[in-house]
Amino acid sequence: MTEQTSLREQRQIQLEEHESYFNLVWRKFRKSRVAIAGGLIVLALAVLAIFSSFFSPYDPVKLNMRSGYTPPSRIHFTDVNGTFYGRPFVYQWKQVVDENMYMHWVEDTGTLYFVNFFVQGWEYKWLGLFPTRLHLYGVAEPGTIYILGTDKFGRDIFGRMCLAGRISLAMSLFGTFISVAVGSVLGVVSGYYGGRFDNYLQRFVEFVQSFPQLPLWMALAAVIPSTWDQMAVFIAMSTIFALLSWTLLAREIRGKVMAMRETDFVLAAREMGASDMRIIFYHLYPNTLSHTIVVLTLTIPSIILAESFLSFLGIGIQEPLVSWGVMMREAQTIQTLGFNQWIIAPVLFILLAVLGFNFLGDGLRDAADPYTIT
Amino acid sequence: MLEYILRRFLISIPLLLGISMVAFAIIQLPPGDFATAYQQYLINQANMSPQEAEKAANEYRKIYGLDQPVPIQYLRWIKGIVTEGKFGYSFAYKQDVAQLIAERLPRTLFLALAAHSISTLVGIVIGIYSATHKYSLGDTFATVFAFIGTAAPRFFLAIVIVYYLVIQVKYPYVNRFVSPQYAFAPMSWEKFLDILKYSWPVIAIAGFGGVARNMRVMRANLLDVLNSQYVTTARSKGVRESLVIYKHAVPNALHPIIMYQGTVLPYMLQGELEAAIVLNMPSLAPMFYSSLVNQDIYVSGGFLFIYSVLLVVGNLIADIMLSVLDPRIRLGQ
Repeated sequence: MTEQTSLREQRQIQLEEHESYFNLVWRKFRKSRVAIAGGLIVLALAVLAIFSSFFSPYDPVKLNMRSGYTPPSRIHFTDVNGTFYGRPFVYQWKQVVDENMYMHWVEDTGTLYFVNFFVQGWEYKWLGLFPTRLHLYGVAEPGTIYILGTDKFGRDIFGRMCLAGRISLAMSLFGTFISVAVGSVLGVVSGYYGGRFDNYLQRFVEFVQSFPQLPLWMALAAVIPSTWDQMAVFIAMSTIFALLSWTLLAREIRGKVMAMRETDFVLAAREMGASDMRIIFYHLYPNTLSHTIVVLTLTIPSIILAESFLSFLGIGIQEPLVSWGVMMREAQTIQTLGFNQWIIAPVLFILLAVLGFNFLGDGLRDAADPYTIT
Repeated sequence: MLEYILRRFLISIPLLLGISMVAFAIIQLPPGDFATAYQQYLINQANMSPQEAEKAANEYRKIYGLDQPVPIQYLRWIKGIVTEGKFGYSFAYKQDVAQLIAERLPRTLFLALAAHSISTLVGIVIGIYSATHKYSLGDTFATVFAFIGTAAPRFFLAIVIVYYLVIQVKYPYVNRFVSPQYAFAPMSWEKFLDILKYSWPVIAIAGFGGVARNMRVMRANLLDVLNSQYVTTARSKGVRESLVIYKHAVPNALHPIIMYQGTVLPYMLQGELEAAIVLNMPSLAPMFYSSLVNQDIYVSGGFLFIYSVLLVVGNLIADIMLSVLDPRIRLGQ
């Protein structure tokens, strides 16, 4: 009895002294300022996407043809007479025709509209659950505020960018998730069992890797019938992106598992009669997790880029679904872009997302192996 | 050595055969074929009755073998490629796809290879500079540049360039590969310069990401090598710093760059693809895109196949180059 308690006490001490792997990773990760910045960017984009309705003063799906292609509202603090107001305000844009019959946008400096925060606006459901009208910012009627202008149909571009983040981020996450699942399962199995299966699988990986990624994605995306419903298109697109991305992870994990297969702790587990399943999932797989997370953060940006390009070409996501690439479709016609440069704004979020995930991935790569001292 | 090359070459044959099957399967996936579109066209534009149009479409199918089962169509297709060099008939361009490829492939290759060589050269030079001037202003600048280079969507860069060239400076050399007066002229210095006038934006965009990649790899490698003991030894012997870097360190840091040449080529091809579609440069890329939209299946299939061939050949060349440079690879096999 006493022996047992002392054993328990010993274990207690061991537990206290032992710092978990994730603690070590976090400690190293925290030191990299770039990685933290990347994480914050990703977090900010995710928040904007999840609470997109809160951040958009106008319904991002409702058409409003009368205000099509309105330039971004300028935020002022001083009016035309030089009077300083302590709070930001906007003027309305109005179109005038000059002597050459060209249309121009000028600010109507007659009335100024103060920017209010936490205002009541259009109704939406918070997280899809509670109906509310609360929005981050807005101006009093009949004024309007479009901080990044409007698109062809008069919809607020900033609000739509936030909304589009849902599809763009969710698709890249979902695609990456599939490719990680397939890649790690095949990698572990191939590395652990070896032999003929491993040989076949490696030939198959080589086969898949010899496909040109972007042309194949284009060809596959073009095949998706436009009559499919939104969810089906979303899943099909994610799967297409996963189709070619899993090979890298499968190879890396296979290599790691192969190296670990003959180590003492695995041999010991096997001698003690552990089943293959237990060895794989309890002993081997957790050791490849660091690799998986790094590959994950580096696959996401590549899918974001590919998705935006395909949607930009019109063979990826289609309206009424909206992604960052879809929003940039209008920029394909150079005349439209020439008159309304602000329609290119969604690229800002693409850049931020790709940079954010890249920074995060770089930081994680360095932190994933916290045992080496640099 | 010869045996190694031969073996690598033989392996790529079944690989290409498999790729051709997948390419053909994909282009067969969408419902309907070009005859369906033709039928619609006859009804809408030529005022044919639906019955007449269907009859015409069926005749069309018969002529081009679209009524045959898919495996038979595939066999015909692959037989045409191997025996006669024919890639099937383009319904939209009314000629054999092989002709389209023959016309446009050299352009794509030129663009991709130009982007490739420029990005390798520039990337290595900037990489050496960054590594030897670690944490200096120039290095920071190069690092930021590299991050933007890998993060910016290339189609966006293309849009910006088009916008700037067309709207701002009214640059006349867009949308073509070569000016009309040189179109049938034999290759000459003037023609080459003329081609460059049209193609520099595509090369620049495709190369930009490659510069960033090569620069990062080169910087990291050179920093590793500069930390190794033989470099310290060389320095302590009193060897000049420039000699230490260019004779001792750089050649060893170059190895990974050469190793990744095989993976950089597809990256360049993709860059060319994105830039050329947006800039409407008549290389393989825009035609591939329009064929996907129009369901001109032999064009899509043929081009997809050609892209894969380029990839396989690129990898083959990279492997052979590496085995020439590094005997461990061919002996290890």
